[in-house]
Amino acid sequence: METSRRSLRPTARTATRTALALSAALALSLTAACSSSSGSKAANPAGGQTSAADALSTPTTLTFWTWVPSIQTTVDAFEKKYPNIKVNVVNAGQSAAEYTKLQTAIKAGSGGPDVAQIEYFALPQFALSKQVVDLTAYGAASLKSGYTASAWNQVALQGGIYGYPQDTGPLTMFYRTDIFKKLGLTPPTTWDEFATDAAKIHAADPTHYITSIDPGDAGGVDSLIWQAGGKPYQTTGSTSVTVNLKDTGSAKFAALWTSLLSKKLVDPTPGWTTDWWKSMGSGKYAMWIAGAWAPGSLETTIAATKGEWAAAPVPQWTAGAGASAENGGSSDAVVSTSTHKAAAAAFAAWLNSSTDGAASLNSIGLFPATTALLDSPTFLDQTFPFFNGQKANQVFADSSKAVTAGWQYLPYQVYANSIFKDSVGQAIANGSDLTGALGTWQSAISQYGTQQGFTVANG
Amino acid sequence: MTVAMALMLAYTLLPLLWLVMSSTKNSDSLFSSFGLWFGHGFSFFHNVHEVLTYDNGIYVRWLGNTVLYAVVGAGGAAALAALGGYGLAKYEFRGKRAVFGAVIGAITVPTTALAVPTYLLYSKIGIVNTPWAVIIPALASPFGLYLMRVYAMEAVPDSLLEAARIDGASELRTFFTISLRLLAPGFVTVLLFTLVATWNNYFLPLIVLNNPQWFPLTVGLSQWNTQTMGPQTGATLDLYPMVITGSLLAIIPLVVAFLLLQRYWQSGLAAGSVKQ
Repeated sequence: METSRRSLRPTARTATRTALALSAALALSLTAACSSSSGSKAANPAGGQTSAADALSTPTTLTFWTWVPSIQTTVDAFEKKYPNIKVNVVNAGQSAAEYTKLQTAIKAGSGGPDVAQIEYFALPQFALSKQVVDLTAYGAASLKSGYTASAWNQVALQGGIYGYPQDTGPLTMFYRTDIFKKLGLTPPTTWDEFATDAAKIHAADPTHYITSIDPGDAGGVDSLIWQAGGKPYQTTGSTSVTVNLKDTGSAKFAALWTSLLSKKLVDPTPGWTTDWWKSMGSGKYAMWIAGAWAPGSLETTIAATKGEWAAAPVPQWTAGAGASAENGGSSDAVVSTSTHKAAAAAFAAWLNSSTDGAASLNSIGLFPATTALLDSPTFLDQTFPFFNGQKANQVFADSSKAVTAGWQYLPYQVYANSIFKDSVGQAIANGSDLTGALGTWQSAISQYGTQQGFTVANG
Repeated sequence: MTVAMALMLAYTLLPLLWLVMSSTKNSDSLFSSFGLWFGHGFSFFHNVHEVLTYDNGIYVRWLGNTVLYAVVGAGGAAALAALGGYGLAKYEFRGKRAVFGAVIGAITVPTTALAVPTYLLYSKIGIVNTPWAVIIPALASPFGLYLMRVYAMEAVPDSLLEAARIDGASELRTFFTISLRLLAPGFVTVLLFTLVATWNNYFLPLIVLNNPQWFPLTVGLSQWNTQTMGPQTGATLDLYPMVITGSLLAIIPLVVAFLLLQRYWQSGLAAGSVKQ
């Protein structure tokens, strides 16, 4: 009894000490925010910024637009810590629905939130039009070291910092262990093996497929191109961009998936539909390549398949290369029409950077963007009953570290993605040539960009 | 012909059957059983309970909002259309053709195109995020006005109005005691049109309302639905059955409204009232 207690104590103490050190680091960074903002106040009196510490002790009500349903628990913890700040959590819709609202509200100058959840692919659009605030003035730069490089890269745009990473989606292969076992296959480690397995799985049962590819999901295709080393979108100046959906990565993606689709070895059923979930549950699909946010969806929607799934690294183009990409993920940005920008920035910083905030976000199913959590043994050793006890976080964390650097989204990616289904989506649906379809998509993207006043260079 | 009718019937009823059947299933059963028949287990009452209680019963609030928007918006629109259409059909005044032309022109402007300007306007006068932002645009139904004008021209005989005038009835009294009854079938038609339009209105409420407390069912359900597509956070959240059951419950009031209003939907009320 005594020994076990003694053995427990140091661990608990270490944990407390780590927590203390981390909160001290946060306090320091908030102080840094304070000093840097007072510095910028002197330089830029029109800004009218107050320090984070002041802002957090002034009674303020913030409005936070987010679609994460259980985030209230994290917000409650914040309000407990900073009782002067009241945060009004509003689910104003998800993704495109929210962005439409947000843009309208910002244009009108009222009715918008103070802090808004914005996906990485949409953030450049809001940053370019200055609809969200550059957080550099609030000391965001000092928090950089707390985040993974790829997450930070998504918010550090156009010379500023336009949000705090809230969650990420390192690309992962989720596969059905029962199906692979039955066919005597091992999960593919390269895309060549993937193609071979696809043929074997389909040959064993013509109604079965290795996986599906969603003709409506531009983000999914972007992730696959990203993982293949493609960098089709580059912002070269404040009004100039390059679009090249024919680069090496895009070409590799197009060649593989055109071949798979034309031989009907992958299924082009739109994702998230009842039809698709039915196939996921019945074993019609042997795998799902998705972000590390997927476990929550699998667990709640097809609970009956518990124990039959496992997580593995995404297949590689060169054996052992260990290249990954992001699929999804979002940030919290401070909206330009907010009248409480300092408090809003401090709230967003706490929510995503503090140990408590990040741990709480993870507990409600968001995959962390902070290195402290990604490296913590408690996080890495967590077992997933749905994955038959696998320590799946290790796979996700490795994928997170392996994300290929240099990916960028267009400053009008929301529109570009919305017209994806007219060209590439159609080609996926009828199994025709993806190279040509990517070219068509590129022309449409370039044309729109030019109309919007961008100088568009085609690669 | 019969085959075509049967196909049409199947086309109309199969989705409804799917909806009814699916509302009795939980997620597991939903994704593992045949869509047009019961699955294993009967979760209908559980689903209804989930729908009505999730997030402090926000669904009930959305239902109430939708009823409010539909009754005030659609009822008001039908009333205004009846007044306007009758006026345009039965009275001579300067600028009548211009007014009518403007109304016809208004039909051609899609409401979606007006949503953003509407928001900017409402933001200026401070009614964004209030029920007024949905109700006021719903009150204007150019198509309803057009329909009522055409209907009033046919259904209300001029000689009947002249008879009323000779008997000394005021114009307002004539309208309420005589014309409105003759206009009833047209009025109900317009009411049903505007009711369906307001009940199903999506884009305008989506834009002008940011607070979920004021959402109508369309926006609320679509929000639940998009929430199923993407990382599902919170282990207890099982939104698919809720979206489906919520959709089923959402169409019931509309079906009831149709059944109730149907009997007022007869024409030829004025037949034989005057000798032409």
